[in-house]
Amino acid sequence: MSLIEQIRKNNNGIVVAGNHPAILQSILDFDFLSGETEPSVKVCLIANRSTLKLFFGTKEVLIPCVKDMAAALIVAPEAQWLLNLQSGRRVFETTNLFFQLFPKALGAHVFAENVPEKHATDLIALWGDKKIIAGPSGVGILVSGVLKLGASGGVGLAQIAQGKLTQKGSLAVVSTSGGMTNELIVATAHSGKGTSFSLSIGGDRFPITSLSRVLELAQEDSQTKAVVYFGELGGVDEYEIADLVRTKKLTKPVLAYVAGTIDEAFEERMQFGHAKALVARNDESARAKRDALHAVGVIAPETFPEFLEAMKSLPGEVLEDVSASITPLMNRAKSILSTREIVDLESTPEYVSGKKLAKSQSYAFARATLSALLGRDVSDVTAAFTESILTQLIDHGGHVSGAVNTMVTARAGKDLVSSLVAGLLTVGPRFGGAINESARTWLRGVAAGKDAKTFVEEETRAGRLILGIGHRKYRVGVPDPRVEELSRFASLLKKHPHYDFARAVEKIMTGKQGTLILNVDGAIASLTLDILTECEGLTHRELTSLIDAEFFNALFVIPRSIGFIAHFMEQKQNDEGLFRLPDELLFVHSDKKQKKRK
Amino acid sequence: MARVKISEWKAKQILLGEGYNGVQIRLGKKQALSASKKWVVKVDQGIKKRFKQGLVKVGVSAGEAVTATKEWEKKGFTQFIAEPVFQHENNEEQYLSLERVRDGVRLLYTKDGGVNIEEHPDKVQMLVLSTPESILSAETQTGLPHGFLVSLVEKFEKSFMTFLEINPLVVRENGVALLDAACLVDSAGAYFTREWSEDDVVKSKAKHDVEKHVEDLAATTPASLKLSVLNPDGALFLLLSGGGGSIVIADEAQALGAGKLLGNYGEYSGGPTREETYLYTKEVLALMLDSKAKKKALVIAGGVANFTDIKSTFAGVIDALSESAEKLRKQGIKVFVRRGGPNEAAGLAHMRTFLEKENLLGSIYSSVDPITAAMRDAIHFIK
Repeated sequence: MSLIEQIRKNNNGIVVAGNHPAILQSILDFDFLSGETEPSVKVCLIANRSTLKLFFGTKEVLIPCVKDMAAALIVAPEAQWLLNLQSGRRVFETTNLFFQLFPKALGAHVFAENVPEKHATDLIALWGDKKIIAGPSGVGILVSGVLKLGASGGVGLAQIAQGKLTQKGSLAVVSTSGGMTNELIVATAHSGKGTSFSLSIGGDRFPITSLSRVLELAQEDSQTKAVVYFGELGGVDEYEIADLVRTKKLTKPVLAYVAGTIDEAFEERMQFGHAKALVARNDESARAKRDALHAVGVIAPETFPEFLEAMKSLPGEVLEDVSASITPLMNRAKSILSTREIVDLESTPEYVSGKKLAKSQSYAFARATLSALLGRDVSDVTAAFTESILTQLIDHGGHVSGAVNTMVTARAGKDLVSSLVAGLLTVGPRFGGAINESARTWLRGVAAGKDAKTFVEEETRAGRLILGIGHRKYRVGVPDPRVEELSRFASLLKKHPHYDFARAVEKIMTGKQGTLILNVDGAIASLTLDILTECEGLTHRELTSLIDAEFFNALFVIPRSIGFIAHFMEQKQNDEGLFRLPDELLFVHSDKKQKKRK
Repeated sequence: MARVKISEWKAKQILLGEGYNGVQIRLGKKQALSASKKWVVKVDQGIKKRFKQGLVKVGVSAGEAVTATKEWEKKGFTQFIAEPVFQHENNEEQYLSLERVRDGVRLLYTKDGGVNIEEHPDKVQMLVLSTPESILSAETQTGLPHGFLVSLVEKFEKSFMTFLEINPLVVRENGVALLDAACLVDSAGAYFTREWSEDDVVKSKAKHDVEKHVEDLAATTPASLKLSVLNPDGALFLLLSGGGGSIVIADEAQALGAGKLLGNYGEYSGGPTREETYLYTKEVLALMLDSKAKKKALVIAGGVANFTDIKSTFAGVIDALSESAEKLRKQGIKVFVRRGGPNEAAGLAHMRTFLEKENLLGSIYSSVDPITAAMRDAIHFIK
């Protein structure tokens, strides 16, 4: 079986060294649209983080990141490919090590342009015969519908569709130029032939896998019907093609464009964009190389438009159209923080059943906590109630201010205590501080002996918000299950005036709007007041002093600290690097006229 | 660029080490030459055929050497090398060169050297050195002194040289003399070697200001930014992207008989930022506005980019164009565009809106049109 055919049958796992989010995303998009069920990118060598978040289809996935190749071997022992996106300084070491540690690997792409010639020739000596290595420089390897190793074919979703990258075509695209590789892939799509595979050998002086070897791959691959080639002035690669054709080692039709006749317009030889693109001898001119190709029967048109036209008469077609539509992927919005579910908010534990305490547990932590805060041993009901709220308030998802602050601080590389404190510092009038203020409201309302209607009117007239009322999601008819569960504690009490008052206020409020129901904060506050009064015998004065001492806030801060710590730990484990708001989530408005660029 | 010339003085210093008695003379810096010796003094800026151009003086006194450098300075040269005269016969002159090739280091050597090496290719020995054994065997085959080649190749490798030519080379029983040397090093090796630095790379001819600005800009970004001024009074100015695509587009000018009308060649690629593209575009526009051609066109074109973002690079181009829009309009300049790649639709739409608003639009093409379309239209416009 030829190598390209082997790649088509393979499980092509990729180890990535370095980071280039757009290229990596395009590989995952390519995988998804080609019908793969998991990303080909298995692990990334990136020093400053432990995961990289990318889309696979419309969902996000976290790709593991490791610091060295030995760790990559543990994560992805079956990997077949290296995508080396590092700078030229590190290319030799990493590439060499990869092939030493992954002896079964098929090949690599070296993306960097500034790889020393000596390092390239050393890699040729060590691995040139055994592996397929695209580069240094260029855009890597593409086997349509199977493997995308590098930027080849572009990085945008629209480009994957336009170049028909996921559809198995018939023309092998071979080019020294990364940009022109893509231009040719698009041209094969327009011509209706499609690309079978493409290997960009790069514009450096010593491509590791040589042009001859790539042409050999094209000759061996039964799906490939013809070769389209783009070359430039400088170097003598085209004579390799001519030799292969002359000696019948390459019998498939070859269509070639050798760019650089513009050099004839100048008196002095000019250095063009690529390192090799300088005519050092006469036989390196575009003209001479075209003539040499012509002489052996290669189609080598004079102009690029003629080249495109000639492509239409090559044999072959797009073999199968298996690609999924890109439309569902077009409007993906990237998440800005990654978190997990810390407490299952859907399941609320049962503490009260049939007007009795359900579990005869010791609630030792709740007891110890209250003993510390109140200076007394508490009853079973108080302990159970406290246990239930401590459990419920551990976390409320990653959306809330305190959790966000904790996560952002953790991602800035700060320690546990700093991150926890950053989260806790948001607790106050708008976030998490409502229990304390709600308790103050219920206490005042009950003590004043007013009916709920009068109370609500007075509060509203005074411009005060009634804390403990209102929910974004739950409403009349769709009760908050946590409030339901807490409310059962009322059945354990002889009297529950604060809870009753809160419910009465709720009734008035929901008359205006269905979402103005008693929320968790309000339920906790009212029931705590009733339980402390009946089970612990606290007086109005003692309750007031507890509110002033922020006891009710403590009931929030204690469990939520656990939640924040959990968010801190998950961020450290994901380690996605420093957090920065993407532009589209930030509205920058300016009253002044935009400053002129200098 | 990958292969760059370093000064002859530095090359010899690397090869000969402590024992080297040559002196480097640089513009504005005094350098004492021993009055008791006779000197060879040469311009040391990587220029070929120095002798024929009168940029070498042989057997001069210290004073005469200084006078010679003063004369050359007037012609714009800035760097010279002075060495004590080495007396020898013409028939002692040999030729040796080393070049990095795919499978090792290629040695070219002939005992009959001198200046006419190109005319006698049949007398040249060619050997590829890839292993320590092959170097030892080359010493036997060439008859070069024992250890000379080993040491030469070692220094060649260690200092990331890519090409070294010693012509003439004089071999005597008590040692070897390198009379003239030319040396290219691999600029990508700068990070790995302490043998030479950026300071030793020779700056050949005085460049156009615009070329210098682009060079300075390119030195500060991982993206690729290149610009050569071809004809300051050209009619077609190019803002091209991609090493390969840019040549295809320039080829179209040559194919349509407008090759000599190109004002510049250059390309930006490898994902430059909006700001970098803005600065690069500004240089091209400055060059274009200075051209005395009567009818001028700007060609903004490139292939279908792999990862360069069209929206953000075009935003940079538009930033620069909008600064000069008035001047461009006054000179009757039109802009012709062809581009594809990531965010192509948004980038091209912005460009179209801008060019229409400023009355600068020639034509605009996307990735479904041939890469050469904008150039073809621009040539029709200026002719």
